[in-house]
Amino acid sequence: MSDTMEALYQQRLQRYVTALRNGKPDRVPVRPLAAEFVATYAGYTCQEITQDYNKAFDAVRKCASDFQWDACVGNMVYVWTALTQAMGLKYYASPGVEISADTAFQYIEPPEHAAHMLPEEYDALIEDPTAFLFNTWFPRVSNDVDAPGEAVTFRHNMALVKGGMSMLQYFGALGQQNARLRAECGTPPAIGGMLKAPMDIIADKLRGYMGLTNDLLTIPDKVMAASQALVPHLTHMAVTLSGADPERNVPVAFWMHRGCVPFVKQEHFDAIYWPTLKQVIEGIWSHGLQTLFYAEGDWTAHLEAFAELPEKSIVFHLDQSDPVETQRILGKKFCITGGVPNALLAYGSEDEVRAKCKELIDLCAPDGGYCMDASAIMQNDSKPENVRAMTDFTIEYGKY
Amino acid sequence: MSEHTTPSSSPAANRAPGVCVPWEEKRQEFPKIMGDEAIVKRTWEENDQLAYLFIWHCLLSF
Repeated sequence: MSDTMEALYQQRLQRYVTALRNGKPDRVPVRPLAAEFVATYAGYTCQEITQDYNKAFDAVRKCASDFQWDACVGNMVYVWTALTQAMGLKYYASPGVEISADTAFQYIEPPEHAAHMLPEEYDALIEDPTAFLFNTWFPRVSNDVDAPGEAVTFRHNMALVKGGMSMLQYFGALGQQNARLRAECGTPPAIGGMLKAPMDIIADKLRGYMGLTNDLLTIPDKVMAASQALVPHLTHMAVTLSGADPERNVPVAFWMHRGCVPFVKQEHFDAIYWPTLKQVIEGIWSHGLQTLFYAEGDWTAHLEAFAELPEKSIVFHLDQSDPVETQRILGKKFCITGGVPNALLAYGSEDEVRAKCKELIDLCAPDGGYCMDASAIMQNDSKPENVRAMTDFTIEYGKY
Repeated sequence: MSEHTTPSSSPAANRAPGVCVPWEEKRQEFPKIMGDEAIVKRTWEENDQLAYLFIWHCLLSF
């Protein structure tokens, strides 16, 4: 690693971490969560970067070098579909296989009658989440894995061996990718892992959204108990993930999908979603780790709840939440990131992008505590010239 | 099928985060450990944690 590149890395890390802690760096950091956009820019299809992680890594490094971002994710596409195929997972549609080669991978939520967890199985999850996942959930979401008591097949054995080995291979490669981003591009990692709120896990991977919302009306105590049962495991996972970032510089991201009004009622947010997520966040923060609230959709109705958290314990990502209200309620305690609409990056002009960036910097970054980014992960519809405009404008206008 | 292949019916219900098959359960399979039990325990727990990470990553990351 050259001294120049390491100096650049340290300069960017300092800039990024200062902003994350709601401080005032030398300028506003640019930290795009760039997913399939990197394929567009580097000349790959979605299939190539989703199936072959080396191409994804290569595309990320090309973007990091060419755009001079202050931080990025080693592979924001994240789901390596060869791994999910090795396990026989049913709930992904892979580019170039089930969907076109130029479409981002899709998550397939099963219909309510075919949910990955049945309503009568809450007690088993609550009693022993890890055993439930191995014995009931995994066989149900895999085409190959057999449940205890079923005849063990060759494909079952292969799914477990290949799944475990490919996961080790992938996470090892991600570590090497971060090392190459540092040595070759001078780019720090944007996040230290990805998790979800307890109730989002129940919706996304267990009961499905329709199943969860029915359960909230009919068996809310079970939903609460299951969310509580997940809390210590999520805290443990977050702290374990931080092993890749021993100095705990960067936050663990929480994908917050459907826990806000109107996906759920305010009373369910107040009674279940928020108390259990809050326990996880406070547990993580007690280990010195920040959380990035990747708040997809509009969370304006819940900003006052988030303001209860300890100062600097989270970073709030703006998608469709009201930017003015977000800055007013959260801006004094927490760093804010994002806010450039993805539709603007896809269909707007460079001047419109620059105008939006100016608006966000003027609003959210008067005294630091803001990182420039799109509202949501940048997929293959973001135009390179608009991403360039967002980056270059911030580097110039965002100086303090 | 032996008992220790069906975790939900094992004595380890309510197993702690980071644990699939607790050392205390595994230890009962060895009548006597001739050498340093702490080494066996530590390496068991380190490998056991990998299985835990595998299933929780399946749920959370993939």
